[in-house]
Formats: sequence, C-alpha cells, structure tokens
Amino acid sequence: MNIYTQTLKRDLRIAIRNRTSILNPLSFFVISVSLFPLAISPEASILSQIAAGIIWVISMLAVLLSLNVLFHHDFENGVLEQMVISHHSLPLLILAKVSAHWILTGIPIIILSPLLGLFLFLDSEGIQILILTLLLSTPSLSLIGAIGASLIVGIKNSGMLLSLLILPLYIPILIFASSAVSQAQFGLEISAQLYFLATILVVSLMTTPFISSLALKISLE
Amino acid sequence: MWKWIQAFASPQNFYQISEKIIPWFLSPFIILTLLGLYWGLMVAPIDYQQGESYRIMFIHVPAAWMSMLVYLIMAIASGIGLIWQIKLANVVAKVSAPIGAAFTFLALITGAVWGKPMWGAWWVWDARLTSELILLFLYLAYMALNNAFDNPKTAAKASSVLAIIGLVNLPIIHYSVQWWNTLHQGVSLGINKVAIQDSDMLFALLLMATAFKFLYATLILLRARDEILFREQNTRWVKAVIMGDEK
Amino acid sequence: MTKRQNRMVLVALLVAGVSLAGYFGLRAFNENLLYFFSPTDVVAGKAPIGKSFRLGGMVVKDSVWRNNLKVNFQVTDYVNTFGVKYEGILPDLFKEGQGVIITGSLIDKTFIATQVLAKHDENYMPPEVADALKRANE
Repeated sequence: MNIYTQTLKRDLRIAIRNRTSILNPLSFFVISVSLFPLAISPEASILSQIAAGIIWVISMLAVLLSLNVLFHHDFENGVLEQMVISHHSLPLLILAKVSAHWILTGIPIIILSPLLGLFLFLDSEGIQILILTLLLSTPSLSLIGAIGASLIVGIKNSGMLLSLLILPLYIPILIFASSAVSQAQFGLEISAQLYFLATILVVSLMTTPFISSLALKISLE
Repeated sequence: MWKWIQAFASPQNFYQISEKIIPWFLSPFIILTLLGLYWGLMVAPIDYQQGESYRIMFIHVPAAWMSMLVYLIMAIASGIGLIWQIKLANVVAKVSAPIGAAFTFLALITGAVWGKPMWGAWWVWDARLTSELILLFLYLAYMALNNAFDNPKTAAKASSVLAIIGLVNLPIIHYSVQWWNTLHQGVSLGINKVAIQDSDMLFALLLMATAFKFLYATLILLRARDEILFREQNTRWVKAVIMGDEK
Repeated sequence: MTKRQNRMVLVALLVAGVSLAGYFGLRAFNENLLYFFSPTDVVAGKAPIGKSFRLGGMVVKDSVWRNNLKVNFQVTDYVNTFGVKYEGILPDLFKEGQGVIITGSLIDKTFIATQVLAKHDENYMPPEVADALKRANE
C-alpha cells in the first residue's frame, strides 16, 4: 500500500509544480461548454434539455485530452520503464497514477459542473443528479482511459488515436449518465441508470489496472 | 494434429496451401449466393406482415451475424496471438478487422433501407442499433491502432488487447432486444426458437448465411496472403515468389 | 505484509468486487430502462409528461380515422388507451392491430405525435399460415 501512496503523492506534487497541466483541461472544459449556448440558442428551455448531454460529452473530451500525458513524461524520462521492471506490482502503480489523474481532472470537473449547469439553465434537481453521475463515473473515465493511454504510450502525435480507441468504450457511460440527468429533471425513476454506472465503476476498478499493465508492458517492449 | 497445425501455421506453407484452397471457398460462395438469392427472391413466399419488403432480410441477417462472428474470431485470434505468439493468428486478426467492418456497415445500411419503409425511419437510437454502431467503431479503432505502430509485432499485441476488451459489446448486441425494449424486433432464429414459420424462407436464409461464411473464408485467405508477403518481405521464399521462379 | 497476506487481501478484494458488481448489475437489470413507454406506464406517471417522449402499443381496431395526411387513432396496451393525433406520412406497416411507437407529447390526455414508427414482431410466415393460425386461435 505504501508504494501506492508514494506514487500518488509524487504524481500530485509534479502536477502542482506544473500548474498548466492541471488548468488546461479545465479551461478547455469551461470554454467548450460555453460555446453551446452561442452556437445553438441562448434560450433556457432548449439549453436545459441538452445541458446534461453537453456537460457529459465535454467532460469526456476534457478527460481524454488530459489522458494523453498520463504516462507521457514518465515515458520520456525513463521512469515508466523503471516502474515496469521494478519489483512493485505494476497494476498498483497504475492505480496510483490513475487516482492522481482523477484527483487532478475528475474532481475539478465535478466542482465546476454545478456552475456550468447554471450556465445552461439546468434546474437544481438536474444539477444534483449531474454531480452524482459525475462522482460515480469520472473514475471510470480515468480507469478506462488509462488502457488507451498505455496502448499508445510510445506513439508520437497520438491525440486523435486515443479518442478513436477510447470514445467507443465511453459510450455506455455517456448514455446512462445523461439519461439519468434528463429523467431526473422530469421527476422520473433513475435507479436503473445509477446501478449501471455503479456496475461499470466496480468492473473497471477491478479489471483496468491489470489490462493497463499488460498494455504498458507491450508498448515498452 | 498439432504438428500439422504448426506446419500449416508457418507463413510459407500457409501461402502455398492457401492458394490451392481458395477456389474451394470461392466457388461454394458463388453457388450458394446464386441459389440463396433465387430461393429468397423467387421461391420464398411473401410475409404476412411485411409483404415483399422482408426479403432484404436475406442480406441483412447474414451480414449482421457475420459482423459479430468476425469480431469473435478476431478476438479469439488476438488471444491466441497474445498467448502463444503464433504469427498466423495475428495475421488472421488483422485482416479480419476490415472484413468485419464491411459486414457491420452492410448490416447497418441494409437495416436502414429496410427500416425506412417498414418502421418509417432510416435510423433510431434504440439499444440494438446503437450497440451495432459501437461495433463498427470498435472495428475502426482496432484498425487505427494496428496501423499506428511501425513494428508489426507490437501492433498485433497492442491491438489484440483492444479487440479482447471490445468483446464486452457482443453479448450486449445479442441480448439488447431482450434486455431493453427496442424498436428492433426480437430474435427470430435462436438455439431453441424458430420464429420463421416457412421452410422456404428458412432455407433461403440459411443458404445466404452459409454463403457469407464462405465469402469471409475467401476474403480472409486472399488478404492474409498479401499480409504474409508484406510481413515476410525480407525472406528468401518471398523473394522467390516475387521473382516468379516459384517451382 | 508477507506475500501470503498480500495474496489473501487480493483474493478478498476480488471476491468483494465480483459480488458488488454482480449485485449492482442485477439491480440495474431489474429496473426497467425504457426506449418507449406503454399507456399504463404513462398513467402510472413513469413518462415525462410535458416533454417529448415515446409511447408504444397496439393500434386499436376500428379507431383509425384519416383525412388526407391527418390521422387520428387510438393506442392501447389492452389496459389503458390513449387517443393519438398525427399529421404526416405513415409507414407501410401501419394498420389496425399493429404495434407502433409514437414520438410526441401528451396534451390534455391526447397524444400529439411528431413521428409514428411501426414495430413488427420476429415472426415471419406466409399470409396463408398467418390466417390459419388466426383461425385456430379463434
């Protein structure tokens, strides 16, 4: 467990020293969301219906953009190779790095989301469920995304490729999360969606660290 | 048996043997397709609900089956390639992806052409159609990842991981019509269910389904031969083949 | 921690994870995720009234009334029935007794439709067989 906290602390410390790497995905998140009222319509009735979908899609893209560099620096300066050949459990190290990624992108997105919900005229019921779905599923986004990030670690200019790999796997989360919010806005039952999101979270917590570690070993061969 | 498989799996033997067996897959495909189309378009009666329009089923259903079967084969071959490092398995997985994507695309297109007159819409976002669309995305992702590496060995391994993860989607496609209520109708032909209550309809469908399997076998052999030539380009036997003094 | 203890922790986590995932998965499938709502769902307040949603059911016999492109008919799940108003082209399969999925919204207990889709079942048979089956049922 010790190595888990050590790696987590290390990643957080690096990020804090290099603040733009935290701020960029968040600025992207805020700026992209605010494009929609300008492009579609500033009308409250239209925006409130599509608010959940917009915030969810942009959250995914923001997570994707930040995932590109999840292993990148460690790969360039050789730390990643040391991790792979060290006697510590690689899945545990990956889990630590993914946790750091979630703390640095997932949590800020969750904190910003009520604000953006207000931007898009989402009512308070909708905002509550939006936060709940984000809490439940941004960890899944980081975990599943880590597989993609480890598959492409050695490839240059891989931003587009990462989205191709990961977005199809994100679709179920998008469907259940945004449908939960829009159903909740009409006072309807949403437990099915929340259970699905919870299942996805538990399954990805259990499997993705191992798949990522396999993928990393392949990429670094 | 094992020895025979190993011998067959060596690229050079595969290249030579496959040349001889391709006609044995190609001609059944042509014969079965002609027969299946005749049976489906001329012999099979009209449907009580859909009249003549249901006949697109004879393309749509085999294509949809193949879209899933090819993915399954691709994932299994990926697993074999990952575990036992058999070159041929990697080749099978790689060349299957575009074929599977084509079958998926065909299923989606014929479905749209069928859906417009019958349902009244080219496309709906119900669980069956959405999960089949995700299957197409997975094929595209697999192809993109496979092309991104310079080293074919790394490419095969990395994309194998993706192919195996994508397996999750297959049960979702299959059971989507049972788990959720969809516009797409339920399963017509399953292990313990036959809802096609006319022997000519059923026969035409099975003819076409078999024909599509021969088509896949033909295409995979043709493409695998190219892929093997490319991968083994620095070996002596490939040079011999290219120079034309092959026996 | 020793290696043995490590392994025990891993196994315990795995068992906990699998059972948790199984529990959530089962609960998810027991709750219904609806592409369309039946008239009974609507009466029970499960559909988003005031917003566009999809209503699914059978077209009631002798309820279809047409005037050019304007169509009125009733949709039922044999428990509850709603009247539907629609203006536009209907799919070929649309007829009395057929399953339909209608997009629209409920206004004063009448469903104002923007799209009518026909749902057919998984059975395929020639008309004669269908007639024979029908007669056998009656």
